[in-house]
Amino acid sequence: VTTAAPFAPPTAQRVAAAVREGSASARAAVQAALDRVAATDARINAFSSVLAERALKRADAVDASPRRARMTLAGVPFAVKNLFDIAGLPTLAGSTIERDRPPAPRDALLVRRLEAEGAVLVGALHMDEYAYGFTTENTHYGPTRNPHDPQRIAGGSSGGSAAAVAAGQVPLALGSDTNGSIRVPASLCGVFGLKPTFGRLPRTGSYPFVASLDHLGPFARSVGDLALAYDAMQGPHPDDPACARRDPAPVSGELSRGADGLRIGVLGGWFRRMALPEALGAVDAVAQALGTSRLIEWPEVEAARAAAFLITCAEGAELHLDDLRRRPQDFDPMTRDRFLANALIPAAWAVRAQRVRQHFARLVARSLEGVDVLIAPATPCVAPPIGTDSLEIDGRTLPARASMGLLTQPVSCIGLPVVTVPLWGHADALPHLPVGVQLIAAPWREDRCLRVAAALQDMGLCSAPVAQVS
Amino acid sequence: VDATEAYVSAAAAALGLHIAPGQRAGVLGYFRLAEAMAGQLQAVALTPADESGSVFEPVAPQVPEDSA
Repeated sequence: VTTAAPFAPPTAQRVAAAVREGSASARAAVQAALDRVAATDARINAFSSVLAERALKRADAVDASPRRARMTLAGVPFAVKNLFDIAGLPTLAGSTIERDRPPAPRDALLVRRLEAEGAVLVGALHMDEYAYGFTTENTHYGPTRNPHDPQRIAGGSSGGSAAAVAAGQVPLALGSDTNGSIRVPASLCGVFGLKPTFGRLPRTGSYPFVASLDHLGPFARSVGDLALAYDAMQGPHPDDPACARRDPAPVSGELSRGADGLRIGVLGGWFRRMALPEALGAVDAVAQALGTSRLIEWPEVEAARAAAFLITCAEGAELHLDDLRRRPQDFDPMTRDRFLANALIPAAWAVRAQRVRQHFARLVARSLEGVDVLIAPATPCVAPPIGTDSLEIDGRTLPARASMGLLTQPVSCIGLPVVTVPLWGHADALPHLPVGVQLIAAPWREDRCLRVAAALQDMGLCSAPVAQVS
Repeated sequence: VDATEAYVSAAAAALGLHIAPGQRAGVLGYFRLAEAMAGQLQAVALTPADESGSVFEPVAPQVPEDSA
């Protein structure tokens, strides 16, 4: 009797190295990704569009390029959340309303930047409608399923992005994070995710959710792949007014420095109270591996979450006010009542929220004077079953969907960079499910989060094995 | 009808939003959640010097600076 070896596709780094040196072709790498999507996506529902013709044409162009040997992402297949513009397709942002809009005239800026380094876009990925959710239980297109347990949610709103990477469909995907939408699905699907500092990566050519809070970033199965993609995407752009005019700060060469010399602490208070035992176990394992027991508590965390919540309400609803008036029946029932309620909130609440946000940022900056990286759970628990309505957290019955962002929302509210790393085996009854840990640094210090993530990966404490989806 | 419920009805009408009878309880529930969040913000001690986290940046015309 022979047992099939587990499916283990190469990382982006390995694909790129093989294509650069000529031992593999970009066409073969892209075809392998397309084959994997065809074999698995009926069970996962990660992809909303597969771009086989375009992808193979681009792969051939990479193989023929005189620059091929210098391309950092030569032949690496990737896919993007369907709020990124793709030339010739309407940008759905998880909705059916946007299907009626004209197709995008060109690719989003970050797609162009990745393809300039030889990466090849193979498709677009499902998400919560207009990015307003943490579960990707999209009524229009069906739920995206967790590749490690298809009866459970993938997380959201970038659920398709995390699921595609976890299922081994692509080694690299892009998503967006307004309140946790990279970190939550990374946690629940067991992959690495990077939410850079607010204003680091330009959002040009992506459909906004909440302009004051929206970030873009990559998912991958290794820290090296995250860094590789991040380095290829850095650099300001004048069409995104929130994008800082900062020179790129490459991180790939920094990873080997590990956690040496970094002061590391564990976030307490809200970040422990709102986590279930599996999430706390993962945090404690990371803290122990890094040799820290230093507990740091931020003040006003619950108010910061409320500020992010209300900024999201005000900006998110205003963006869709015309459609809410004209065609409310065309919104996903999962978002419609929230958008309608949010459209009504008084201006004073939203303005106060922005002031509390700035106040909280200053308080946290003071706490970051004495520590370089902070550890916190990414989600309160492992992935719940699809359709779960409530969870018991902190002795209270809370809405399950909104609660997935309890631990991410206060951090993105003030734009700090975060890498989410996946750990396994901390849920006693569900050892096959991962849970993520956030590694948080001061603004513009993505290098520190990534160095600690690389150290944990090297220790074998965190990893992103491909789900064995048949 | 309490003040919040009356506000929701009046604001929806003023904005031209139709809330179907089947959505009314859901919309009101989400509005009350936002109201509770706003209450948390009011509890934070701010001074007039606490500025907004949303800062506008003027947009300069794209012409050479010495063209005048």
